[in-house]
Amino acid sequence: MTRAPADTRPPLPLHERLVKYLGLALMIVGGLFPLAWILLTSLKDEGELQKFPVQYLPATPDWGNYARVFSEQPFARFFLNSLIVSGVSTVLCVVVAALAAYALSRLRVRYRGLLTVLVVVFSMFPVVSLLVPLFRIMRGVDLLNSYPALILPYTALSLPVAILTLIAFFSSIPRDLESAAMVDGCSRVGALWRVVVPLSTPGMVTAALLVFVNSWNEFLLALSFNTARDMRTVAVGVTLYQGEFSFPWPLISAAIVVGVVPIVALIVFFQRRFVAGLTAGGVKA
Amino acid sequence: MSDQTITTSARRPARPRREIGEGALAALLLAPAALIFGAVLLYPMLSTLWLSFFTQKLTEPWLGTPFVGLKNYAQLVQDPRFLAALRNTLFFGVLTVGGSFLVGIPMALLAHAESRVRWVARVAMLLPWAMPPVMTGLIFAWMFNAQFGVFNDWLVRLGLSAEPVRWLSTPGLAVAALVITIVWKTSSFVALVVLGGLQGIPRELSEAAEVDGATKVQSFFRVTLPLLTPALAVAFIFRAISAVQVFDIPYVFIGQAPAQGLLETLGVYIQKTTIEFLDFGYGAALSVALFAVSLGITALYVRFVRGDES
Repeated sequence: MTRAPADTRPPLPLHERLVKYLGLALMIVGGLFPLAWILLTSLKDEGELQKFPVQYLPATPDWGNYARVFSEQPFARFFLNSLIVSGVSTVLCVVVAALAAYALSRLRVRYRGLLTVLVVVFSMFPVVSLLVPLFRIMRGVDLLNSYPALILPYTALSLPVAILTLIAFFSSIPRDLESAAMVDGCSRVGALWRVVVPLSTPGMVTAALLVFVNSWNEFLLALSFNTARDMRTVAVGVTLYQGEFSFPWPLISAAIVVGVVPIVALIVFFQRRFVAGLTAGGVKA
Repeated sequence: MSDQTITTSARRPARPRREIGEGALAALLLAPAALIFGAVLLYPMLSTLWLSFFTQKLTEPWLGTPFVGLKNYAQLVQDPRFLAALRNTLFFGVLTVGGSFLVGIPMALLAHAESRVRWVARVAMLLPWAMPPVMTGLIFAWMFNAQFGVFNDWLVRLGLSAEPVRWLSTPGLAVAALVITIVWKTSSFVALVVLGGLQGIPRELSEAAEVDGATKVQSFFRVTLPLLTPALAVAFIFRAISAVQVFDIPYVFIGQAPAQGLLETLGVYIQKTTIEFLDFGYGAALSVALFAVSLGITALYVRFVRGDES
């Protein structure tokens, strides 16, 4: 690496540093405030909530809202459902995507360009347009109110992103390494398993993170296919605490806080992988 | 390229066998993806297209499912609710895509700069992108709450408004609230793609411009921004697609202020037509319209990528 270390550059003049840190402060506060606000709301009681001007901090944190999240709805079950659906979708999607991406980036495939374009086209399918036919298929094979009713669509919807991400990673692994292994007596599949798979672990992790977040967040299909209370997912579950004209915000806030814990944890622990994956391009918003 | 020709000419007898093996292997590896795409995306989309030529209303089952040709599409171009939803979608699209670039590009520059808080800045950048849209909608609906919302608190405390504002039930303000929420959620994506572009630009380029007497601002607009064009184009196309298909956040906002036809997007209208009114035939025609718009933007993207290669 010939890049000069950052500290050899002269320090920024004062006014530029000021603009930079003001901007960073704004960005950090702006990005985190909504979540901080919902956290504070989740610890207030109704009396503290119904004040204007707003009372920012609860006098004493009211943890009772968290207990009520689990007693008024089977939220633990929603959470388990989301974990199972997102977890299985992630594994299934990454495995299928890895196979396809390997073929598209490494093997001599006829119409390779066309197939890659097709993957991009699939990534743009509007979910709402698939709602009715998918609902019929699921009803036809008696899969409504089941995990596969969501796992299959979630796998399909994230497959393009996973394939495109993995193509980018596979392409960055030198072919020579693979050829060397094959010269040394490895079969193509052996070379794949011993050389390509270990080297592309970061790519697999990135793809897995993207699929998991997509699946955890999906709302429309989960709302429409799994209507039995015990089969609801977290994204739908947080909307079940409101009545037609009543919005118990501390309770809804507590449910949201619990519901985003996995997402926040993944972002904090895998910040680098997310940035690497998303900056590689070709990822759907 | 060259080493391939060498190996094939050196091992000519092995060539035909290997090619067949490779083709078969590729087909095998692509088969699971093809099966899933076919069953879960392609077949349903084709059946939507097929259904759009029929009348099928579950509320009037005695009608059966007669073939009606293009009647659903004729209805579509005269349907004021469809036209309003289309107008809303495009209007929100222009505002939210534009807004996400205005916010996202400075975010990318800040996340790219060396600083002691870069880690926190990047987490703050990723979080809005990763938040479930439904929960984002709920959180912002609460922050825009007419009685006890924190945004009203700021307005009143700063003296910008004498009394709390009814954000979600005043037409213009409801649109503003929706746009602000979507921009908060989607700027991160623009920032991430632009950050990817920035990482590919050698620092020496803008430094050279500055040595030659350009200010930081000039070097950004004359050197950095032109080099970011591919990243900006990719971000624009993906943002445009997601803006056209936007569903979750408007759906939540409409739930908070039921009388608001103003916030209805194409995605929401399709969901209402099919799931609430059970008008599957017409819903299918609406779905095809949304699909066509998405496909149009995708074609733009494919042309852009192709043009890039040649």
